[in-house]
Amino acid sequence: MATEIRKGERAVAVSKDAPPPVRPSRTVSYWLYLVPSGVLFTVVIGAPFVASVVLGFTRWQGIGAPTWIGLENYQRLFQDERFWQSFEHNLVLILAMAVIPTFLGLVLASVLFDFVGKRYGARTASGLRAAFYLPQVLPVAVAGVVWTWILKPTGGALNAVLEAIGLPGQDWLGDESLALPSVGGILVWLQIGYPVVIFMSGLQRVDPSLYEAAEIDGAGWWRRFRHITVPQIRPEIYVVLLTCTIAALKVFGPIYVLTRGGPGGATNVPSYFSYQNFFQKTQVGYGSAIATVLTLVIVAVTFLFLRAQRRGEETS
Amino acid sequence: MQKKSRIPVLRGLAALAVGMMALAACGGGSDENGPSGAKELRLWHYESADGAMGKAWSAAIAKFEETHPGVKVKFEEKSFEQINQSGAMALNSNEAPDILEYNKGNATAGLIAKQGLLTDMSDEVVKRGWDKLLSPSLQTTAKYDDRGIMGEGNWYGIPNYGEFVSVYYNKDLFKKYDLEVPTTLDDFTKVMDEFVAEGVTPLANAGAEYPAQQYLYQLALSKADRAWVDRYQLYKGKNDFKDPAWTYAATTFADWVSKGYIAKNSAGTKAEDMGVSFMKGDFPILVSGSWWWGRFQTDVKNFEWGSFLFPGNTLHAGSSGNLWVVPEKSKAKDLAYDFIDITMSKEIQNLLGNSGGVPVAADPAAISDPKSKELIELFGKVNSADSLAFYPDWPAPGYYDVLVQNTQKLINGSAAPNAFLDAIAGPYDENLQDQGLGD
Repeated sequence: MATEIRKGERAVAVSKDAPPPVRPSRTVSYWLYLVPSGVLFTVVIGAPFVASVVLGFTRWQGIGAPTWIGLENYQRLFQDERFWQSFEHNLVLILAMAVIPTFLGLVLASVLFDFVGKRYGARTASGLRAAFYLPQVLPVAVAGVVWTWILKPTGGALNAVLEAIGLPGQDWLGDESLALPSVGGILVWLQIGYPVVIFMSGLQRVDPSLYEAAEIDGAGWWRRFRHITVPQIRPEIYVVLLTCTIAALKVFGPIYVLTRGGPGGATNVPSYFSYQNFFQKTQVGYGSAIATVLTLVIVAVTFLFLRAQRRGEETS
Repeated sequence: MQKKSRIPVLRGLAALAVGMMALAACGGGSDENGPSGAKELRLWHYESADGAMGKAWSAAIAKFEETHPGVKVKFEEKSFEQINQSGAMALNSNEAPDILEYNKGNATAGLIAKQGLLTDMSDEVVKRGWDKLLSPSLQTTAKYDDRGIMGEGNWYGIPNYGEFVSVYYNKDLFKKYDLEVPTTLDDFTKVMDEFVAEGVTPLANAGAEYPAQQYLYQLALSKADRAWVDRYQLYKGKNDFKDPAWTYAATTFADWVSKGYIAKNSAGTKAEDMGVSFMKGDFPILVSGSWWWGRFQTDVKNFEWGSFLFPGNTLHAGSSGNLWVVPEKSKAKDLAYDFIDITMSKEIQNLLGNSGGVPVAADPAAISDPKSKELIELFGKVNSADSLAFYPDWPAPGYYDVLVQNTQKLINGSAAPNAFLDAIAGPYDENLQDQGLGD
């Protein structure tokens, strides 16, 4: 707690003959620091979350009084084919947003750090790192529009290239069997920068003598990667996998910009499905129920990850 | 059926949610005015300033201030999305304006009328003679019953303009292949065959948004009558998705794709791309709404274009435009009515017509621009025959998306016409049950 110092007063904490000040108990002052973020959390996350969970048990069109219907929304949800489909699509997107970027990111970070950095200088490596990171900085709406141009069935850049080398052009975002892989591909591009940056900073921690010792012992690049790089930055790998998986479960922006869940529902995901019910169909209760299930899934996934990570650390 | 319980906790939560949404929706304070004798008219609309409606309404605001000395119009520009997604919340709060533009239809204006958020202006409509200016199918979207269903009941809104779907065509390309404007669906099909034979895809289409479902609906309307529209749109009797009109629409649409009238790769295309491709001259024909008119007028430079009604149809997709509504919480209802009256005056209506809009009460002689005249005459044909049949996505909230997703399947050939009809029947019937409209 700040002591005020008035003009003319000497900045002495306590004069000699005054009784020693009573120090506020430490825990109380810690709690005070938590007040601003506590208030913000309550207003922005806590209260809406509770409201959303409760609304999941009602039928409500967004105005008037909600009608309490108990578990009806959830019964409907578990029979709703589109809901299950949207979760299946999510699995594909976890692959595209978490698994593939983590693996590629590891290889790229390691190549940049170990090979490019040593061969062509740190500048080149950080320049390339920035290039990989660029899609993370672009607003998703902009990236989405650019990709729809590239993937347009007629006059799109990708098809123009394919046709130039004699391959048939495809309707990338309009064909039901291609739409989800296409969106997945775009998401890999969008995500890749994040693991690269995190892993490269992780690699800074690794003691270079480890690599030198391994090299003297005749270990090639791949063995050094497997036995030094990966185990040494395991904590970073866990963090990236976890945050990317959560991002994949929540994904909304790219779907909204690229396909609106189409064609024929082929790229629908839970968050977009919830949004549709909430805003477009004015079925606020049902939309809230979907959002609640999604939240539970995310919490469960996080919990499992953290447990796996703890175990991983205990065994190493 | 569930019993309605009104639990105080829920009310509190609803209020909380509304408060949060209002936070997200709009700022702007409310000034305390006396119960009319108000010195301010708070007005919201979401038309762009350079569009026909925007121009007409700016002039109406100026005219209002001229005729009401000492009263200020406080205009707040909103976006369509804002009003669509949180307008209801705002009308339920003390932030409500005195008058605003609101989207027409059961799922929008009907929903808030049902909730008691709008003023019933039936007496005012008769007193000021607005009902004389609007044809029956334009009136449909202005009246809602106590279930929030359009077509009957009280007047909750007044439309200033109309919109309708017609066939736009590239005159130069028709000339190039020596083709005439078709007057029957058979002739239309022959024209399209000619184009296909020349290696040209005749119809511009967009499967990811509204255009595809409007093709489908126009085809259904070619075999339909007013009673069919009343069944489908107003729930007057049971709508059967396996009836001849629907069956014809789905099979013909699929047929048009397989014959190459509609591009097989148009499932992922958006409406904007469709419009741009027509303006570039890539496609000779585009079936869409009058909202394109002004844009084609200014942007199409390299060829002559025209428009005709969908050949052979007595019914066409279209309706009144959006509505002026007066919230129940409005503090200046009399001023709001005065403003609506000005928007319906010849002066403002003629301006709307000369700016590329479709006025509902203009003086045809006062429309000087030849292209605008063409549009208004076309609308006159539709309106005087009372052949506006609304839009396919209106009967149920969220039905737009159902139609988009399933017409995409029809374009891609991943659903047969029969399966398509089953797929769109489900959500339609579900809505009837939800609203207690089923038999």
